[in-house]
Amino acid sequence: MTTISLTEPSAPDLPPDDGRAPDHRGSWLPTGGMIATRFLELRRRRGLMIALLAVNIGIPVVLLTIRLVSHAVAPRSYGPAGGYDVFTTLVAGIMYVFGFIVAATVGCTAGSVDLTEGMFRHLVITGRSRLALYLARIPAGLAIVLPIVVLGFTIVCTVCVLAAPAQLDYDGLSVPAGLSRAGLEQWAGGHADEVVCNFNYRGDIALNVPCGNGPGGAIGKVGPPGTTQAAATPAQIRAFAVRMADQDYADYHSHFLSPPLPLMVDTGLWICLEATIGFVVGLGLASLMGQRTVPVVLLVILELILTPIFSQHVVAHLVNVQRGIVGLAMAHIEPAGLPLPFAGGGGPNDLLLPESRTVAVIVIVGWLVVWTALGAWRMVTRDA
Amino acid sequence: MSTIELPSTPTWTGAEHDWAVETHGLTKSFGGNVAVDGVDLLVPRGCAFGYLGPNGAGKTTLIRVLLGLTGADSGTMALLGYPVPRHRDRALARVGAIVDEPRFHGHLTGRQNLRILAAAREPAARDRIGPALERVGMLHRADDRVAKYSMGMRQRLGVAACLLGDPQLLILDEPMNGLDPAGMQDMRDMILGLVAEGRTVVLSSHLLDEVERTCDAVAIVDRGRVIRQGTIAQLLAGSAFTVEIECSDPERAAACLSTTADGATCTVGPSGLEVVLPTGTGRDVVAEINRVLVEGGISVYRLQHVQASLESWFLEVTSRLDEAT
Repeated sequence: MTTISLTEPSAPDLPPDDGRAPDHRGSWLPTGGMIATRFLELRRRRGLMIALLAVNIGIPVVLLTIRLVSHAVAPRSYGPAGGYDVFTTLVAGIMYVFGFIVAATVGCTAGSVDLTEGMFRHLVITGRSRLALYLARIPAGLAIVLPIVVLGFTIVCTVCVLAAPAQLDYDGLSVPAGLSRAGLEQWAGGHADEVVCNFNYRGDIALNVPCGNGPGGAIGKVGPPGTTQAAATPAQIRAFAVRMADQDYADYHSHFLSPPLPLMVDTGLWICLEATIGFVVGLGLASLMGQRTVPVVLLVILELILTPIFSQHVVAHLVNVQRGIVGLAMAHIEPAGLPLPFAGGGGPNDLLLPESRTVAVIVIVGWLVVWTALGAWRMVTRDA
Repeated sequence: MSTIELPSTPTWTGAEHDWAVETHGLTKSFGGNVAVDGVDLLVPRGCAFGYLGPNGAGKTTLIRVLLGLTGADSGTMALLGYPVPRHRDRALARVGAIVDEPRFHGHLTGRQNLRILAAAREPAARDRIGPALERVGMLHRADDRVAKYSMGMRQRLGVAACLLGDPQLLILDEPMNGLDPAGMQDMRDMILGLVAEGRTVVLSSHLLDEVERTCDAVAIVDRGRVIRQGTIAQLLAGSAFTVEIECSDPERAAACLSTTADGATCTVGPSGLEVVLPTGTGRDVVAEINRVLVEGGISVYRLQHVQASLESWFLEVTSRLDEAT
């Protein structure tokens, strides 16, 4: 047994200050220098940056370049590189889904490398608040992810606007793009036979119009079965074409060649939010687990497997759990006019599990807050 | 559990708040394994202090507890007079430390790694990066990626990281690991230089020789407990008195001394006769041994009092503990 007889340290009696300015290192707020150096640490990861650039900029640029070259070489076989359809396909099909995964990978890296590479211990020894060390990673990581997402998105928008086709292939007809309602009606009046024979129309057509595809003389559009009508006059055909154009204008409007500016702005904010969620969740999960690989795999599974399944298939006992999936919530706040990557999108074929917009917003905020709190808690309590 | 009674209180005195490190009853367990067992440690300011113990004795765990890298189960502690963990931020502002093998972001340069650490300290720390690199002899490799560094270079970078906070207390855990002989000499000189500037250096090591060369005082830790602490001279004063004898007939000399010298242990080896006398034996006994041998008709060619080393003393103390258990 050791024989010890020492007095307890007089804890409240602090030694005099040594004259240094207080640096508030116990504060939970990170300093600008901490954020800047975290940014430096992430930016210098070559492989990570290549993946981030490849997905958000490289893939869209390659696809758009191929379309531009193909269209320039064989314009009859290959459509224009830009336009509404290309925009929605690239954004909803690639940038949204893979942008999330790459942002999550950056988050998982930011949340785990200090630990796995042995720097966490050095940082804790500085006496700096562990919470501040954690929070410094959020602005630093987003300062890397978001500009690249925005740059990639801007390139897509630019090409889709500048390389948009001058004519819109609408219901099999080559229609000028960007017409107003009056403009479309006027154009329809000038192409009455083609419009009447090709445009969709909801309701009975009380005309007998020779469209060139009927038996023997070419009746294409007829009235109700069993009725016999005289051939329509040009004036009647023109008037009916104008009426059809008026009815189809909303559908035509949604197929404008260039994506409208409000849609581009909304979509840009939407994919930035998706990337932010990917980063923050990845950061929290990796900090919680203390490693990078497993969290990345889990988030890939969430994005590519669980979210599509649970977005479209209702499991009776899990409906509220399904509604808690962040991908589903993001689908519910998707800008109108985009096709959802996992179905839905507000159209007639919408298969999305119902959820109010308010609940969707709560779910998104909840994911951001809860994963940040979990990651920070683990950072504060972890043995270094 | 040891039943041997060993004095554990430090043998030097100091005024209140003169301790760089002060712990009382500090305990830390991992499951059923008690890594730090009621440690009372007082490290005076302005000295090089060795924290000695075999592998697995709990040295690194104590350091981790002191630095707030892991929590203590019980006990109190203070660094530079600041109770921790309550005033951990204020205490660690003046502390630099290497714990285990120093590791850094391999894809960044040494300078960039130090920038990350300086950013977590006070603004002035950034200005100390260059001088710290220069002091550890790493300025010429500061802009190379750490992945290309040798173990010794990372060790030096770790010391540079310690210096960023202009520390009053440095805690170095096995700082000689990975260093070549020249590097060890440089490290030794640097530690002595830091102490000469009035800083306190706590050197945790199992290399007894290094501690003996570098430190003014030591604490011996075994199985999580501090079993002795004091200055090296004080600790060695309590060790056995050994005399090496080269003579014409070692066997007869051993028999002769065994009957006349009370408590002496004689061993005949290839280099001659070694006589171990009890602790507290005075130097006069050397002359007495010579007289006994000469009167016995044995020619004495060499007779030398062997100064006990810290290593032999350490082995002696720990073997006594083993016997006691």
